[in-house]
Amino acid sequence: MRLTYPHMGEAYIAIKSLFDDIGVESTIPSFTTDTTLRLGAALSPETICLPFKIMLGNYINSIKAGADTVLITGSCGPCRYGYYGPIQQQILREAGYRDIDIIVLDPPREGYRDFYAAVKKLSHRGRTHPLQAVLTAYRVSCAVDALNDLLYHIRPRAVNKAEVRAILHRFKEQVTQACGSAEILKMVEETGNALKQVEINNEIKPLKIGIIGEIYTIIEPFTNLNIEERLGEMGMEVHRSMTVRSWIQNTLIKPMTGRKSYVLEKKLSKPYLPAMIGGHAQQCIGHAVQYAQMGYDGLIQIYPMTCMPEIVSRSILPQVEKDYGIPILYLIVDEQTGMAGYVTRIEAFVDCVARRKKEMLHE
Amino acid sequence: MAAKIGIPRGMYYYKHFPFTKTFLTEIGAEIVPSPETTKEILDKGVQYCIDDACLPVKVYHGHAHYLRDKADFLLIPRLTSISKGEYICPKFGGLPEMVKYSVPQLPRILDVEVNMLRSRWGLDKALYRLAYGLGIKNPFRIRQAAGKALSAHRSFKGRVLEGHSPNDVIDGKPPKYINGRDTVGLVAHPYLLYDSYINMNLLNKLTERGIRYVTTEMVDPHIIEQRCMELPKRMFWSSGKELIGSALYLMDNSRIDGVLFLTAFSCGIDSLVGEFIEKYARRDYRKPFMVLNIDEHTGDAGFNTRIEAFKDLLNGRCKDATDLSSHG
Repeated sequence: MRLTYPHMGEAYIAIKSLFDDIGVESTIPSFTTDTTLRLGAALSPETICLPFKIMLGNYINSIKAGADTVLITGSCGPCRYGYYGPIQQQILREAGYRDIDIIVLDPPREGYRDFYAAVKKLSHRGRTHPLQAVLTAYRVSCAVDALNDLLYHIRPRAVNKAEVRAILHRFKEQVTQACGSAEILKMVEETGNALKQVEINNEIKPLKIGIIGEIYTIIEPFTNLNIEERLGEMGMEVHRSMTVRSWIQNTLIKPMTGRKSYVLEKKLSKPYLPAMIGGHAQQCIGHAVQYAQMGYDGLIQIYPMTCMPEIVSRSILPQVEKDYGIPILYLIVDEQTGMAGYVTRIEAFVDCVARRKKEMLHE
Repeated sequence: MAAKIGIPRGMYYYKHFPFTKTFLTEIGAEIVPSPETTKEILDKGVQYCIDDACLPVKVYHGHAHYLRDKADFLLIPRLTSISKGEYICPKFGGLPEMVKYSVPQLPRILDVEVNMLRSRWGLDKALYRLAYGLGIKNPFRIRQAAGKALSAHRSFKGRVLEGHSPNDVIDGKPPKYINGRDTVGLVAHPYLLYDSYINMNLLNKLTERGIRYVTTEMVDPHIIEQRCMELPKRMFWSSGKELIGSALYLMDNSRIDGVLFLTAFSCGIDSLVGEFIEKYARRDYRKPFMVLNIDEHTGDAGFNTRIEAFKDLLNGRCKDATDLSSHG
């Protein structure tokens, strides 16, 4: 058995550490590019959301590299994501990849004995206890998160932006070659130290932009046109509302230990959307309110075309915009997304936010 | 004076109107349903709703806009879940908010949450809450109204199962007898199928061409449940379940000569359900199958051509079926 999994931003680091620790052979799919998307889109239903198409492309890339089992998480919520597994399996079979197996890891609240059994089934060498490995993977994702936070601070202030890019490039290259959580954690730490050595200009007071929206499109840099790096190099301090760590914490760790997940987000979004409607619609609104209260200068909502929960939050967000006086840019992405048009829109938005801030300071 | 409650003619109106009507009239409210969709209503809906919502949601916005100065309240229930363990669609859950923050100057919205995800008591809770919101606090009266509403709903559903169009049953019109040879299965969400403006009058067009139809609502829920057991994973949308179950049933039924799948552009559920049905049709179905995709820009002429083509397919098949083999 050689496992593979779809990409979602930096998720591959934590997943790789998990598989290395429990002794499962795994293949990291090659990083998402236009070709990946085209591969996936050719086989996918026409109006399905973007993550489906990209994930399918990832599988095919990995299968060509020798993987034979795909591991994805599942859900039984009202979002379409819960039905990805069965349909993708069918599509792969019809496309001629007959002996590819898709293992769907449903969240523990659907019965966490099944979840545990699935993890145990995967670990056949048993070097590390599976639960231990999951916790270590969580620690890896925490470390990656901390690295990202550092990056958000350093990028807009760095004197030489290329230096930051080079460090990250090296990290990405090394991490795909690494083996085991210990090695990965060490690499993350080293990268953090290298980033701290970068010369920064602390005089700069950058604008703060929050990124909210659908979890996959905001985490995966390919789908959002690398917005974090782009804004960072334009001199904005960005913060992304959802990370792999927060996802693991809220869907795995909190329910398993009997705690409620997304408490703050639900509380903040209550005046706007009092019920759970699926996906991360409530969380998106909650984050928007949170960023507004924290004094961010602007928000960017990113979601794939036809995403059901985000369409609901998209129609509510203008009210948040009015109530808190915070500008929001809405970016809807799909496989037809043209780079130039989006970059223009982002630049125009940044200009607006900058001018708005200047006027506010003068008053 | 009785409170006037506006009921937009959209989404699950075609499924739940008799229930809502009986309940509200029994507790002493006056109901104001919006008229059938017109161009104006659709235009208003498109104007106020966000761009990438699906057509039925846009139409619903239009109806809400129409009712804004004609009623004291607007009933937009939050249908999170209408059967145990299943959802409908995230947009149903967020519908009150979508309308509230998109259409200006609306009357007060009655947005009771109907959540039967855990148990069917969710409905009772919603009904009590709705009546309390209107100032009716007598639990016996509410209970009685709920009972009557339920029996009205049952008889409505019974009539639809017999093969009457929900529109005819709601309006109290006598059922039309269609004289025709071919019967097609129509698989679609009720809010697409029975709104004759947005689907370019599809039902009448079929009738005019002498084609009889069986819709998703006319298939026994037990059969739907049974056919959905074939799925690789439990279907967690009740709307999706209806479509898949009825499509599989209609395709396997020898008295159905073809299946039409009507879908709205950018419908999230149909993108997966439709894929499943299409795959099944391509693999195992030997009769005409067609997907009709509609949105607010659909043109009448193109639609007619497709229906004509489908009719030719049906005719061609019937002719061949009686012919001897061409190979002698």
